[in-house]
Amino acid sequence: MTTTIITTVDRLKEYLHRAMQLEHATIPPYLTALYSIHPGTNSDAYHILRVVVVEEMLHLTIAANLLSSITCPNDNGTRPYDKGPNLLAEGFVPAYPAYLPDGERDFQVHLERFSESAIDTFLKIERPASAPDESKRLIKRKAGSAQYLVACPEDEEKQYYSIGEFYEEIARGFKYLYEEKGPSLFCGDPKRQVTSEYYYSGGGELHPVVCMDSAQRAIDLIIGQGEGRGGGIYNKERELAHFYRFDQLRLGKYYRAGDKPDEPTGPELHVDWNAVFPIHKDTTLSDYGESSELSEAAKAFNRSYGRFLADLNEAYNGAPEKLLEVVPRMFRLRDQILQLMHNPLPGTEGQNAAPTFEVA
Amino acid sequence: MIERFLRFSAELTAFSELQLRGTGQAQAYLDAVEGVVGPKSVRELLGAYEEIGVTDREAGLRRKIFGDPKLGPIARNLIKLWYVGIWYQLPRDWAQTYGAREKDRTFMVSASAYSEGLLWPAIGAHPPGAKAPGYGSWTEAPRIPPVPQSSASNS
Repeated sequence: MTTTIITTVDRLKEYLHRAMQLEHATIPPYLTALYSIHPGTNSDAYHILRVVVVEEMLHLTIAANLLSSITCPNDNGTRPYDKGPNLLAEGFVPAYPAYLPDGERDFQVHLERFSESAIDTFLKIERPASAPDESKRLIKRKAGSAQYLVACPEDEEKQYYSIGEFYEEIARGFKYLYEEKGPSLFCGDPKRQVTSEYYYSGGGELHPVVCMDSAQRAIDLIIGQGEGRGGGIYNKERELAHFYRFDQLRLGKYYRAGDKPDEPTGPELHVDWNAVFPIHKDTTLSDYGESSELSEAAKAFNRSYGRFLADLNEAYNGAPEKLLEVVPRMFRLRDQILQLMHNPLPGTEGQNAAPTFEVA
Repeated sequence: MIERFLRFSAELTAFSELQLRGTGQAQAYLDAVEGVVGPKSVRELLGAYEEIGVTDREAGLRRKIFGDPKLGPIARNLIKLWYVGIWYQLPRDWAQTYGAREKDRTFMVSASAYSEGLLWPAIGAHPPGAKAPGYGSWTEAPRIPPVPQSSASNS
């Protein structure tokens, strides 16, 4: 028996804001692991991480398009996301370590170097499992746990079994509301849709969300690229799902079309876990100690990241051409991250500095 | 040794130690210069630098480092090394006076030494062919950092 939880546009917006928050929350941990790899080494791992993080950026943009598609120009709501995507809302950027959903047992996502423990966490983030039955789709949270990103918005005591289940709920909400409202559900200004002409080399095509069909396709793309669907390891576009991309690093072998989970039959894949900067885990500005050139560099990175989010927010709110300006800024973020990671962090035993992603 | 090398390199290049470490090249450059002229000559160079007092610093650098027939050419080579990632063969005079070194020929230290050269941040550009800056970035003005004040002429 299927019960629809999302039965109002207000609630659907809340879910889509959470979806953006969730997609973004994976980016700092993935970037941290990616850039902690010594430049020029570990090319298999580097490329796997890079593909995934680029697709997360695509998913963030798709979630923004979904939210924009149901945001009427005359909406008078007062929540931070009632007038459209809002990357600058309070708490949008989590404080790491942060919680993401993980079925029965909780786990935290860290800002940490490329390592076996980081990959284990990434596998949990992208876990493909569907809930065993309808009653398990929502799980009661353990007491005393901290910030959850895919907590059920209307009942903070519960969380979704997997990110895939969370998006399934959003798809059901769209269907339910479309049946009720018809095409008027998609009252958003089409000019606010970010499309492929503003977005290049970005892990997939961006289509405008203007009707039920396009909304469903957008959600399918996120689920297919992320966690895989229905037990398949490849999605409709013949791309390997994120979970299995990371799984290759654990198993030391590439998957090929036709393979079963856990049994890749492709070429060997070499991982050198030592060709990595020994960066300090979950670094915060307080770890930098007294003011120094290094602490200033860490703050400068956070300011750059904040400006980057602000520009991205403009792009999502009616100025999609702004994305073209944002791309060079992203490359500079990379250079700032690498500069930090090359420098020793004072007061630690041989550990290096790392970006803290603390956005004011 | 790396700390001493970085302090001297910061003076030579007008980039901070943080920025120099940020290139990821410090150890490779120290290894390169030691490999060519030998660790003893590098120690001699760093020792001479560390003896220069805080007063009349610029004159001290000229006299003890750049005006020194043995140490001057090595120091100039280090500046070029940091800026373009290339060790240039020492002048013939130097080799004749202090002995030719087996590894003293013009060479690029590594593939990444090129893209990490200080030349690029100094002129606010990216290394052509590497570190792609994103489509259309050329429509923005170059991000040239302010010319640092010389610590030598300050004091």
